[in-house]
Amino acid sequence: MNRLLLASALAVAIAVAPLATSPILGQAPKASAAPKTPWGDPDIQGWFSNLSENGTPLEKPAQFAGRNLEDIKGEELTSIKQAAQNRTIESFAGPLHAPEDWWQKDLNMVKGSQAWLVIDPPDGKVPALTPEATARTAAAAEARRANPRGPSDSWEDRSLYDRCITRGLPGSMLPAIYGNSYQILQTPDYVAIRYEMIHETRIIPLDGRPHVSSKVRTHMGDARGHWEGDTLVVETTNFRDESSYRNSNASTLRLVERFTRVGPKTVKWSVTVEDPKTWVRPWTFAMPLTMDDTQPVLEYACHEGNLGLRNILSAARSEEEAARANK
Amino acid sequence: MKYRFPLASALVAAIVVSGIAISASAQRDAVVRPARTADGHPNLSGIWQAMNTAHWDLEDHSPSPSQLYQTGAVGATPGGQGVVEGGEIPYKPDALARKKLNFASRLSLDPEVKCYMPGIPRATYMPFPFQIVQAPNMVLMAYEFASSDRVINMGKPVEAAVDTWMGTANGRWDGEALVVDNTGFNDKTWFDRAGNFHSDQLHVIERFTLMDQDHLLYEATIEDPQTFTRPWKISMPLYRRVEKNVQLTDFKCVEYAEELLYGHLRKDPSK
Repeated sequence: MNRLLLASALAVAIAVAPLATSPILGQAPKASAAPKTPWGDPDIQGWFSNLSENGTPLEKPAQFAGRNLEDIKGEELTSIKQAAQNRTIESFAGPLHAPEDWWQKDLNMVKGSQAWLVIDPPDGKVPALTPEATARTAAAAEARRANPRGPSDSWEDRSLYDRCITRGLPGSMLPAIYGNSYQILQTPDYVAIRYEMIHETRIIPLDGRPHVSSKVRTHMGDARGHWEGDTLVVETTNFRDESSYRNSNASTLRLVERFTRVGPKTVKWSVTVEDPKTWVRPWTFAMPLTMDDTQPVLEYACHEGNLGLRNILSAARSEEEAARANK
Repeated sequence: MKYRFPLASALVAAIVVSGIAISASAQRDAVVRPARTADGHPNLSGIWQAMNTAHWDLEDHSPSPSQLYQTGAVGATPGGQGVVEGGEIPYKPDALARKKLNFASRLSLDPEVKCYMPGIPRATYMPFPFQIVQAPNMVLMAYEFASSDRVINMGKPVEAAVDTWMGTANGRWDGEALVVDNTGFNDKTWFDRAGNFHSDQLHVIERFTLMDQDHLLYEATIEDPQTFTRPWKISMPLYRRVEKNVQLTDFKCVEYAEELLYGHLRKDPSK
């Protein structure tokens, strides 16, 4: 079964929406709180789901100007989340919407834990682009104007997500409207994270080895991890241009994730985004990761069953054929 | 099952040396690996790769040319000794006929060409490494090809929820061997590039047994009464990739198969 049409609609929803941190945001985890693995590392293993964090905007919405993230809670937060859930359902109304049983019964935005994601800078906004990034964006727009293409002239006009190639990083960690399950496993030497969506596996060495050569570039990047107290710190570089986060410079982008077990079912996760060629300063967003044994990762044979992409392309060709016939 | 190796003495020595998780050290991987995990089982963690021609053909086979002359020697098939116990896969007559058709049309039918998940056991002996991450209650096997992976449940066995490409894996320890019982396969994967195939009745029982620290005996018993007259078995050593700092490099081959799969749906600029 293929859910890509839904996926691309969702990609839009995600761009509009993103995700979130929580009441736990301001708490310093107690060193003794984290359960330990048999070999003494903090234990962050388990099945997780980001389902409830779907729909949280990346940046601080204007309506919260002057307010702190941790102050938006309780009924106020619930009402915001309920409204987001209602909007999401409405956005799929109409004759072409995905079958409701694929997603609506699992929709759980009401339990979302924060009103926006960016925690640094303090204004909750992604920092300004550098002049270089502004020029890069303008050049790309100019190239598109000079050589206009339809949205589905080829598969290359579709997103890497539509094509079942990758959601990249931090995209793979972020919620979508379905397929939010992922799993963390640990050994003394590695931490592995498996994402159901598209099916991605990150295997993060903990032994302090250097990054691979800058000539080796992958969509999920080259990750290195280490423990700082109770926090797993994962630094990822060596990205590819096509999938570099928010059109950053793949060769200078560096993502630093921090995973800290802060509760029986909660791992606090933050990402510091650094790319001096794209943003004038590093910035950080955060979201709680919630363990959920009821949501084990199932195999998502995204590419193998990608009728969505095939249908998008064949429909575009059919429309062109019909337009020619009507001339 | 029939294999016995002089494991005991090597393991005893290794346990004395290691046994405990050691703090990070640049030399650690090169010098000492814990022979056992904290829960006392053989530690299979590592990056492994087959070194044989099973990927081209599980059975004994002579060298043969590529179907695409443009690929010259690069696309030709190396000959090799098979890995099937007894030499031949016991196909039912109809299934053997289909296997031959598969082989004749392998460029259009082999799921590997389309970058589809390879299934089990094929993922194990493709010409790509795979990594075992042996966590306390789960064993992850992550394959470089197509970002495919599977997690072997080491707890109470679970039923396959649905048929999948990589199957549903329940594992247990049988002495020194990790035994993995795989069910819930679809009928879309092959065993090799020679068109050897199965139905959705496939049941694969694998055994992973360390022969020494850098060699892992891989055995797989294959049952599929719809396709074969009896169960049959393959076996081969897997070799630890011992290069310093070796790691998997994602091979997301979807991008390399799109022209093949969707090229006919590309907009024709002349129209």
